[in-house]
Amino acid sequence: MDTKIILKQLEEMLSKEQVSTDGEALYDAAADRYKKYAKARKVLNVPTPIAIVYPKNTEEIRKLLMYCNDNGVNVIPRGGKTATEGGLENWKDVTIVIDAYHLDSIVKIDTYNSQATVQAGVPLQELEDELRKVGFTTGHSPQSKPVAKYGGLVATRSIGQFSTLYGGIEDMVVGLECVFPDGHVSKIKNVPRRSGGPDIRHIAIGNEGTLCYITEVTIKIFKFYPDNNRFKGYLVKDVESGIKVLREVMVNGFRPSVARTYSEEDAAQHFYHFYENKCVLLFMSEGPKGIVDATVKAIEDAVELHKDGIVKQVDSSLIETWFNQLNWSQKDIDDEFEGMIENDSHSGFTTEVSADWETIPKLYDSVINRVKNEFPRAKDLTMLGGHSSHSYLNGTNMYFVYNYNILCEPEDELIIYHHPIQKIIVEETIKFGGSMCHHHGIGKYRSEWTKDEHGSAYYMLEKLKEAFDPKGVMNYGTIFPKEDGLKYIE
Amino acid sequence: MKKVLLYIEDEFCDESLGLLEVSRKLYPSDEIKTYAIAINQKKHSCINGLCDVIFSLNDEDIKTYDQKAISDILSNLQSQFSFDAILFLATHMGRCIAPSLAMKLNTGIVADVTAISNENGEISLIRPAYSGKIMAGINIVGQGPIMMSVRSGIFSFEDYKKVDTKLIELKNIAHRLGNIKIKNIENKKIPYDIRKSDVLVSGGAGCTDLENLNGLAKLLNAHVSASRAVVDKGLVSRAIQVGQSGKTVSPSLYMAFGIHGALQHVEGLKDILNIISINTNKNAPICSISDIVVEGDAVLFLKKLIKRIEKGYQNDC
Amino acid sequence: MHIVCVIKFVPDVDNFSYNYETHTISRNDSQMLINPDDACALGFALKMKKKDPQSFIEVVSMAPSSITSQLENILRVGFDKATLISDSLYAGSDTYVTSKILSKYLDKIDYDCILSGTHSIDGDTSHVPSQIAQCLNLDHLNSIYQIEEDTFNNSSAVVTVENEKSSITYEIGLPAVLSLSRESSYRLPYVRYKNLNLDVSDKLNIISNKDLCFSAEEVGLKGSLTKVKNTHVKTYETRDKKIVASDDNGVEVVYNFLKDKGFI
Repeated sequence: MDTKIILKQLEEMLSKEQVSTDGEALYDAAADRYKKYAKARKVLNVPTPIAIVYPKNTEEIRKLLMYCNDNGVNVIPRGGKTATEGGLENWKDVTIVIDAYHLDSIVKIDTYNSQATVQAGVPLQELEDELRKVGFTTGHSPQSKPVAKYGGLVATRSIGQFSTLYGGIEDMVVGLECVFPDGHVSKIKNVPRRSGGPDIRHIAIGNEGTLCYITEVTIKIFKFYPDNNRFKGYLVKDVESGIKVLREVMVNGFRPSVARTYSEEDAAQHFYHFYENKCVLLFMSEGPKGIVDATVKAIEDAVELHKDGIVKQVDSSLIETWFNQLNWSQKDIDDEFEGMIENDSHSGFTTEVSADWETIPKLYDSVINRVKNEFPRAKDLTMLGGHSSHSYLNGTNMYFVYNYNILCEPEDELIIYHHPIQKIIVEETIKFGGSMCHHHGIGKYRSEWTKDEHGSAYYMLEKLKEAFDPKGVMNYGTIFPKEDGLKYIE
Repeated sequence: MKKVLLYIEDEFCDESLGLLEVSRKLYPSDEIKTYAIAINQKKHSCINGLCDVIFSLNDEDIKTYDQKAISDILSNLQSQFSFDAILFLATHMGRCIAPSLAMKLNTGIVADVTAISNENGEISLIRPAYSGKIMAGINIVGQGPIMMSVRSGIFSFEDYKKVDTKLIELKNIAHRLGNIKIKNIENKKIPYDIRKSDVLVSGGAGCTDLENLNGLAKLLNAHVSASRAVVDKGLVSRAIQVGQSGKTVSPSLYMAFGIHGALQHVEGLKDILNIISINTNKNAPICSISDIVVEGDAVLFLKKLIKRIEKGYQNDC
Repeated sequence: MHIVCVIKFVPDVDNFSYNYETHTISRNDSQMLINPDDACALGFALKMKKKDPQSFIEVVSMAPSSITSQLENILRVGFDKATLISDSLYAGSDTYVTSKILSKYLDKIDYDCILSGTHSIDGDTSHVPSQIAQCLNLDHLNSIYQIEEDTFNNSSAVVTVENEKSSITYEIGLPAVLSLSRESSYRLPYVRYKNLNLDVSDKLNIISNKDLCFSAEEVGLKGSLTKVKNTHVKTYETRDKKIVASDDNGVEVVYNFLKDKGFI
C-alpha cells in the first residue's frame, strides 16, 4: 500500500498533530540502544518507520491496531525508548511506531489497598515521586528509572535494583488493560490472587509488543522506610566467594533489597577508589527497623561463615555514596550519544543471564575464558567482567559487561565486536541450562536463540503468536525468529 | 675557536637568545664566535650587541617559508665560513628548514633539543622521543657541522657581556627559488584545546563558579576544563568536557574543584603528574588518585587560593 | 593524478616495554601501527581517489618485513599499490639515511605529489619529509591541516598550514612534498568486514637493497650521522597523598606546592 495513503488515513483517524514524519525522529526510531553506535554515526542498516503516532486513549489505539492488522502495517509499541536488545528496532519497510506519550495519567493511588493504577505512558520516576509524597514507593528501580515508562517496563518483564526484596515487575503487576491486533480490548481486573484458569496476565507481561499493546497497568505499592537503610560492603577473593555469601543470605530466608557481587574488572568501573583489584560484595537492607537489623546480622553471619573468601570489610559510607549515583538520566544518554559522535568509542554493552547457584560461578568462568580465547578481537577489549545483582532462593543472575576499542568502521561494529561476544555468552548460558535473557527481553538480537532458550516449551509461545497476531503485524522480528531479519544482524 | 651560526626568525627574536646559551653549553671550554643570520628581518635589535656577527640579507623574493632558497643561502655561508655548529629554534619554520639544510650539507641533525652534555669533548644532545615518554641522548658523528633545533624557553642567556657586533650585508648569493606563495593569513581564532593544555583548572558539580575558575586559570597560565555535570547544566561548552565521552587530557597539573570522580570522568585523565582535588568529601573517588586532597567547600577554597596567589605576586614586586 | 604516500609504522608509544638494564626499548613488531599523521595523508589520498577513480595512489614505507600484513590492510581500503622497502642492511638507519633510501626509490618513479605526515609519535623529528624534498629538489610544506580538494590537480595545490600563531593558506606548485598533521580531519578508514580477506598480493611490491644498490657503509647504523648514545624513561613517582583542610594552612600547603613545582 502506498505510504502517502497510509499517512493520510492515519491523520484522518487521529489528527495531524498526532502523526509525526520528522526525518530525525524517524531515524532515531529505527533502532534502539543495541545499535547506539551505528545510530550516532548515522550508519544504521535498517529501514526507518514511516511515521510515529501518538494516540491519546485506548480507543485510538484500538483503531490503529485494527488498521495495521487489516493493511499489513508493522507496529512497534514504544514507551521510554530505553530498550537494549533491538526490541524497538525496525525490520519492515512499512512500519509505524505507536508511542504511549499521551497515555500519561496516574489514574489512581490507593494506599490503603497498596495499589496504584497508571497509563502505559507514565514515566516510572513520576509515579515514584508521587508515591514518595505519601510515604510509599514502587519498589521498582531499574537503572533506566528516570526515563522508562510503564508500558515498556511491563512488556519487557523488567527488573529493578531492589528486586531481591520487592521482586521483578511480574511480582508487582496486579491487573492491566491491553489491546489486541484484531481490536479486542482486554481488561484484567485487580484482585490480590485468584485461581481462575492459567494466569493470563502473563500473556501481556513480557510480550515485548509481539502480541498486544498494553494501555494501563495496576501495580502494588510498598510502604517506604527511607530512614532505616543500612549498607555493607566487602572485598572478596573471587566471584564464586561472593556468590556463596549471596546464596547463604537468601537460603536462610533474608531479603536485602540490594545484594551484589562484582568481578574485579567490573568493580574497577564503580569502585576504583577502594577495590584494590579485588571483587566487591555489597548489600543494602531497607524496610522496618527490626527487619533491617535482622537482615544486616544475617549478612554478617553469612560473611563470617564464608570468611575464607573475604579479604576485608569496606566502609559502608562508600557504598552509600556509590549507590546514590547509580541511575541513568536522559542527560547520561544524551552525553553518551555526543561522545559516540566525537570519539570512536561508547560506554560498553551488557548481556544479562540467570542460572541456579551452583551453575552461575561455573558459567561466569566459562564465558570469560571463551571470550578471552576465542573472540578474534580479544586484544581490543578494554572491559570484560560482570556482576550478580538479582538473587532468588534458587539462584541468581549474572550481568556481563564488556567494552572495547572500536577499531573498525561504525557499520561493522556490531558484527566484529558486539554480536560475537553476546553470542558466546548466550551459547554458554544455554549450554549450562541457564536463561540467556534475565531481564532485558529477547528483543531481536537474541531471537536467533529463542527456540534454544525455550526448547519444547516454545510450542506454547508459538501458539500464542498464532492466536493473537496471526497476520504477524506486531513488532516483526522480536522474540519470534525471522530468517529475513538475519541480514540486519550480519 | 668554535664558530656557531644562529638562525634568527623575526617573530621569535627574543626567544632566539637561548641559542647563545646553547653555544656556551656546546663548547664550555672554547672561545666561541657567534654569527646570526636574519633574512628579511626588521629587527636585529635583540641580538645586536650580543653576537659577534650579524648577516643581514634583504631580498623580497626570498620567503622565510622557502626551504630551497634558505637552505641554499645557508649552505653557501657554510662553505665560506665552515661553522662548527648551526642552531635553529624548534619553531614551526625552524623544524622545516633545518633538516633540509642538514641534508644539503650531508650532516647530522637533532630535533627539539632540551639539554646538552659535553663530557670530555663528547657532545650529547638530549631530546624527548616516544611522545615525551623517553629522553634520548644523541651524538652527531661525521665531519659536522653539528646541527640542531632547540626547544624555546628551556635555555636562557644570562650574564652576558656586550660585544661589538659586526654587520655584514649579504648580496648576490646564488639560490633556488621555491614555487610557493601565500594566499591568506588568519590569526588563530580557534579556541584552546584542553588536550594540549599543560595546566587545567577543572570545575565539577561542587564548583560551578566560572568567574573564579577563569580567574585562577589566568593566574596559573592555565585553561579551564569541566566535568560532565557542569556541561549538562549548560554553563560551559562540551568542547572542554573531560571524560570518556569528552576529551582525554594529560596536563602536568590537574586541579579538580568539586569533582566527584566518577569513572567516566577519570577515564579522561591520562598520565597526569600532579592532581589536586578540592572536595567536601575526602573519600570521593577522585581523592584516591590525588597528590593533595583539600577537604572543604571548593568554591570557598577557590576564592581563598586566588587571594593568596595575588598576595604572593604583590609581595614579590 | 599519480600520488605517492610515504608512511611510517611506529610502535605503540603508550604500551612499550623498556629494558632498564640495557636502557633499550623492546621492539615488539606486532604492536606497530600507522603513524597518526601519516594516516591522515592516506585518508586524504583516498578521498582524492574516490573523487577521481582514475588516479593512481602508491603507498611507500621503509619498514621491517613483518608489517607486510598491515600494508595489505591498507591496500584493502582502496589503494593501488604498496611498496615496502626492507632490507636487514637498513636496520638502525637514522633520518638522514632513511631519507636517502626513500629518495632513491622515489626518484625512480613518477608522481604528481608526495604526501606524508609531519611528526612521528616515536621520533618526532619531522626530518624525513624535508630531507626527501631536498634530495628530490622539491618544495615542501608541513603541518598542513587542510588541502583544498577542488583545486588539487597535477600542477598546484592550495593548502592551509597551522603554525604557532596563525593559519596560513599557501599555493604550492606540484610536484612537491605535502606533509599533513593529525589535526586535519582526514582519516584512514578501517577495512570493511566483508573485505578482511581480500587478496591484494598483486598490488604489493617488495623492494630490497638489491634493487636500490647502496653500499653497506652508506646505510644502517654505519651510514647514520646521528647515533643514540643512551635513553631513559620518564618515571612518575608514586603519589604520596596529603590531606588538608580548606583553612589557611590548607591554602598555604597548596600555594607552596604550586610555587615549588613552578606553576606560579
